[in-house]
Amino acid sequence: MIDSKLFLDKNKTVMFGIFENPDKFLDTVSKVHQKGAQIIDCYTPFPMHGIDKAMGLKRSLLPIGAFICGCLGFLTAAALESYTMHFDWPMIIGNKPTIGVSYVPVLFETTVLFTAFGLAILFFTRSKMLHGKMPSERIDFRQTDDRMVIAIATDNNAVDKNELSNMLFSGGAVLVKERTNNGYEDFTEVEIKSAN
Amino acid sequence: MIHDSIIRPNLVTGDKNLHDVTLEICRPIENKPSVSWKVGFTISAIFLGLLLLTLGITLYVGIGTWGLNKTVQWGWDITNFVFWVGIGHAGTLISAILLLFRQKWRMSINRSAEAMTIFAVMCAAIFPLFHMGRIWVGGYWVFPLPNAFGSLWVNFHSPLLWDVFAISTYFSVSLVFWYLGLIPDIATVRDRATTAGRKFWYNFFSMGWTGSVRTWNRYEVVSLILAGISTPLVLSVHTIVSMDFATSVVPGWHTTIFPPYFVAGAIFSGFGMVLTLLVIARKVMNYQDYITIGHLEAMCKVVMLTGTMVGLAYITEFFVAAYSGVEYEQYAFINRATGPYWWAYWSMMTCNLVAPQVFWFKWARTTPWFIFMLSIVVNVGMWFERFVIIVTSLHREYLPSGWVMYSPTLVEIGIFLGSFGLFFTCFFLFSKFLPVINIAEVKGILKNRE
Repeated sequence: MIDSKLFLDKNKTVMFGIFENPDKFLDTVSKVHQKGAQIIDCYTPFPMHGIDKAMGLKRSLLPIGAFICGCLGFLTAAALESYTMHFDWPMIIGNKPTIGVSYVPVLFETTVLFTAFGLAILFFTRSKMLHGKMPSERIDFRQTDDRMVIAIATDNNAVDKNELSNMLFSGGAVLVKERTNNGYEDFTEVEIKSAN
Repeated sequence: MIHDSIIRPNLVTGDKNLHDVTLEICRPIENKPSVSWKVGFTISAIFLGLLLLTLGITLYVGIGTWGLNKTVQWGWDITNFVFWVGIGHAGTLISAILLLFRQKWRMSINRSAEAMTIFAVMCAAIFPLFHMGRIWVGGYWVFPLPNAFGSLWVNFHSPLLWDVFAISTYFSVSLVFWYLGLIPDIATVRDRATTAGRKFWYNFFSMGWTGSVRTWNRYEVVSLILAGISTPLVLSVHTIVSMDFATSVVPGWHTTIFPPYFVAGAIFSGFGMVLTLLVIARKVMNYQDYITIGHLEAMCKVVMLTGTMVGLAYITEFFVAAYSGVEYEQYAFINRATGPYWWAYWSMMTCNLVAPQVFWFKWARTTPWFIFMLSIVVNVGMWFERFVIIVTSLHREYLPSGWVMYSPTLVEIGIFLGSFGLFFTCFFLFSKFLPVINIAEVKGILKNRE
């Protein structure tokens, strides 16, 4: 995951633009991306539709993981049912087959169970989420309330810093600041004033 | 937002901005509980005590404390079980099926409906578990665990075992779905927390959530897949519950109409309970701007539709019994309507088929006190439906020598009333400690963007 890495690496610089209007924010994200700047991540209090495209994010591979988990659930149930009902102790009731349609409900339920839990575990692992973990990238305490944050890498010289800050201000940012990482969870932050 | 329709009325009224939503939904969590909360919680806790007492008596003395007998071996216990499982269906329907249908009005009510699902399934689980008698050795009776009797396994051909898998999967998947939806909102509460306790616990459960768009992006994918798999799951659960009856050879039970009929009934009763809770909650917690008359009206329409479907099923059952020419089947239905339990049958018909028809009138769909009264009628009617199906079919079996009457004992009544205590205690705790409305999703549908 690039976001955490860039925050932890020494001598990285990141510019944050903090917004209060979601529409202006979305617009600015799209412009910054088109300009060629490297957007590390954005932080929003609610899921914004279209921001993934504006940021140029790829589609998640989680559906594939979910499918594999589902298959695993199906096979587990099939193995359990056939082992207990057919191989270990064939249970013949009314001369009905020991392997048959009566397996279907449990096959279905176990498939769903494994898909849901597998998917949740994959999601937490992929997003590095863990119970009790402190939020590592909390730029503004109101980013889960009413503010949106864009984090842009500024040490790769893709876009001029002044141009970038002007772009953020003209896009409607209420606050722009630059952070320089000195080491693990050690950084200095400078607020950038609007040219106007 | 860019996908918003400009001609549709606002789903959230009061011209709120993002911060207003956070403030108002976090208010009950951040302030001291109100007097009405304390009164409600105390009454619920007393009933929860009644549940513990009556379950204790059942365990200590045995199942003989219930009114079951050799003919009516399922009575109030399984009636209550199906009743609670049915109520648990609205939550997943609202959050999963309405998500797939892109019904945005679900966003104000899905959180509380999902909570209701989880609490209702917990209440439901009590009844079959305690019906087993020696619950402490019940593990290997319901789950395929290796045990001391050699190769003696549970029977996968039995619908009762399918039900074990269906209910436990439904409960755990609903819990995952609910918790996942809660994480962003828990993070919102965490970032506003002022006390050490709140900071610690909300931080613990928010799992380091920052609102990162990369995470949101995955989160949306996860929600969609969970909704996709929960949709057939919610339909399968009550289908399988209906198979507990439909795969038997008891007249009045073994009909192929049972699965769709039970699913419609479950949605009907679930929405009935959602209405009962939310009409009160929106008033007490001052959430009229979030759960608007428009929301209530939409739910009333669902109640009317599913009530009519259930009514159609009742009539179809009668027709099929008559048309089949099977005299046992015919007798079972005539006995339901005119036998000793006629009052239960006609209560069911009146509450479920006739009463919801008033929702054809706009006044009925938009008047909260009336909706509340009618939602109680729906709850009562759906309880009677299960009672009618179970008790009237069992109390007169093939041999007239086995005909008996069934009436509940005080212990059974206590467990049933106590289960409401458990349900409402959980709901009151939920409304105090967690956001009752999905903050993040509601923010996404606001028209005021400042």
